[in-house]
Amino acid sequence: MSPLAASPWSSAGELLSRWAILCVLAVLYLVAIALSDAFLEPVYVGNILRQAAPVGIAAIGTTLVMILGCIDLSIGAIISFSAVLCAVLMAGDARNVPLAVAVTVAVGAAFGAVNGLLVVFNRSSSFILTLGTALAIYGLTQIFSGGTARGMVAPDFREFFNHRLGDVLPVLALSLLLLAAAVEILLRTTRFGRQIYLIGSNREAARLSGLPVAAVTFACYVISGAFAALGGIAVLARSGVSSTFTGRGFEFDALAAIVLGGTLFSGGRGTVVGTVAGTLVLFIAFNLVNILGFNYNLQLVLKGAIIVVASAAYARLGRDR
Amino acid sequence: MRLLFLSKALACVAVLSAALLPAAAGAQTTDRALQKKQMAEVVDTKKFKKPGPYTIGVAAGYMSNSWVVFCLQHIRYEASLHKDVKDVIVTDAAFNPSKQVADIEDLVAKNVSLIIYWPVDEKAIQPALEKAVAKGIPTVNAGGGFSYSAGTVSNAFIDQWALGEEGARHFVKDLGGKGKIFAMLPIAGTTAAVDQLAALKTVLKDHPNVELLSAEYGDWNRAKAKQISENLLQRYPKIDGVFSPAGQMSMGVAEAFEDAGRMKGLTMSPGDEYNGWMKWVVKNQKGGAVTFPTRAGQEATKLGLKILAGEPVPRGLVIPSEYIAPKDAAKFAEMNKPDDWWASKLPEQFKPK
Repeated sequence: MSPLAASPWSSAGELLSRWAILCVLAVLYLVAIALSDAFLEPVYVGNILRQAAPVGIAAIGTTLVMILGCIDLSIGAIISFSAVLCAVLMAGDARNVPLAVAVTVAVGAAFGAVNGLLVVFNRSSSFILTLGTALAIYGLTQIFSGGTARGMVAPDFREFFNHRLGDVLPVLALSLLLLAAAVEILLRTTRFGRQIYLIGSNREAARLSGLPVAAVTFACYVISGAFAALGGIAVLARSGVSSTFTGRGFEFDALAAIVLGGTLFSGGRGTVVGTVAGTLVLFIAFNLVNILGFNYNLQLVLKGAIIVVASAAYARLGRDR
Repeated sequence: MRLLFLSKALACVAVLSAALLPAAAGAQTTDRALQKKQMAEVVDTKKFKKPGPYTIGVAAGYMSNSWVVFCLQHIRYEASLHKDVKDVIVTDAAFNPSKQVADIEDLVAKNVSLIIYWPVDEKAIQPALEKAVAKGIPTVNAGGGFSYSAGTVSNAFIDQWALGEEGARHFVKDLGGKGKIFAMLPIAGTTAAVDQLAALKTVLKDHPNVELLSAEYGDWNRAKAKQISENLLQRYPKIDGVFSPAGQMSMGVAEAFEDAGRMKGLTMSPGDEYNGWMKWVVKNQKGGAVTFPTRAGQEATKLGLKILAGEPVPRGLVIPSEYIAPKDAAKFAEMNKPDDWWASKLPEQFKPK
């Protein structure tokens, strides 16, 4: 069922169902505060938001694809390619930043367009198609870079995105929040957004109803590719680029965040707010076990346990309703 | 129904992968006394002696890493210095042990004169290497690690323990022999992480006023090292120094301290000759470097050509790391090159394009 089809105010249960991940996030944050004062410090919270920005930004675009009932496994590869490409185009000079960012986002969108065309015109699953394009893009990255992460990041570019507004909130973290808000509004208030939910709920019914299934699917993949490129640019802004596999594994982090955020693999349901909250659950979990100083292997156990418990709690609060 | 099952399975994979990806590295341990004895062995290479012209096969476990790109360029450079080397054939297994086995078998089928390799998984490729040796094709490990097995005739070897010890001694000296520190190490369980931490702890036994607060694993990843450091800065109100032998991670550590306004008074250990780190050292005049020489490829090629000439070679040739003091960093840093680059003495035409 589309979240827009039912009234969000129909019942407290329905509200809890829809925003269960926010409850999980709030509980986890309260636990974190109870265990470490650091989580009360605005600057530290700003750090966590900044850490989450690359994965969170990439996950925003992929959320649209998953609401459609599809998947995009190529975002990690696009992040890697984008980070290297943007650094090369920037060439250490702040004057090149606008062009570098524009071209990088355009190339990411082009990769997304290829994914979209393949999914629209091929009967194979989006899982295998985007897995294939991911491999191809990783290969292109190696060919383009020759195995070393070429390019130089302009210092001004990094200073801008790492600057703290009010000495608290990094611009990069604000970028995540603004992009998430923009896409959430797109989903909630536009015809395009409603079409995504309707197609994800029942693709065949949507097709028979005359909805532009192919065009919407194509557009969602273009958006996913563009946001993956923005994720690559965010990686560059946060910590520069030091390898040609910068984004490797990001697709799994993003998928974990999206699933934790309540988006169903089967489509028709999900929110960008949930995805951002899921991303923050992942990063708070990591930071919590790290700041408490647990042994590395115990950190892995606890981080995994927090994710499993958060996921189970969400299922209990949300999906069973 | 199948779709539902697949969806749930994928959800589990996605969620668990996010938690467990860093655990992929296999555990290794090093018995230093035994290893020293094995490294000192002299290998009789008469059975590999053959006349030129030679074709060198390079079975790369992976190429998507700037260190190995420079290592390969050193192989090409050394090959260019020998008229009897007519060709260098390179295969790339892209982190896939099965493909590396197939690559080695292909190189044997092409009857190359010599195989230089760096492994994805040393044990997985041993049977293929043993077949090559049985066919009279010598094998040399150029990955910086040491392999003592029937499939590896010799190793061009960088001693991680020695590198860690030298870095730790300079670090403790720069620290003034006292203070609270943490260690930023590579992937947990790898030889590099195990040996570097062991070397640090050995050095710290002589300096009881240096307290190791925590040993962390940044996976050779600048962003992860920064993230971990941000947390440690919250956890510990006083940190006097950071032991970080890998330059990539040292950059992430330094950025976290700079962001927190706690760089003043911080002592950074030597990193390696990773260009981004060398540029940082030039700018900040701290830390320096203990090299992890990319010329391992060149030394491996020299070893291989000696084997083909029937000359005895050591089982493990240690390529010594060198200390670069901060005041000398400018001689090594290439300020107009990317961070992901390595200081080397390669001629310009052999540097990666």
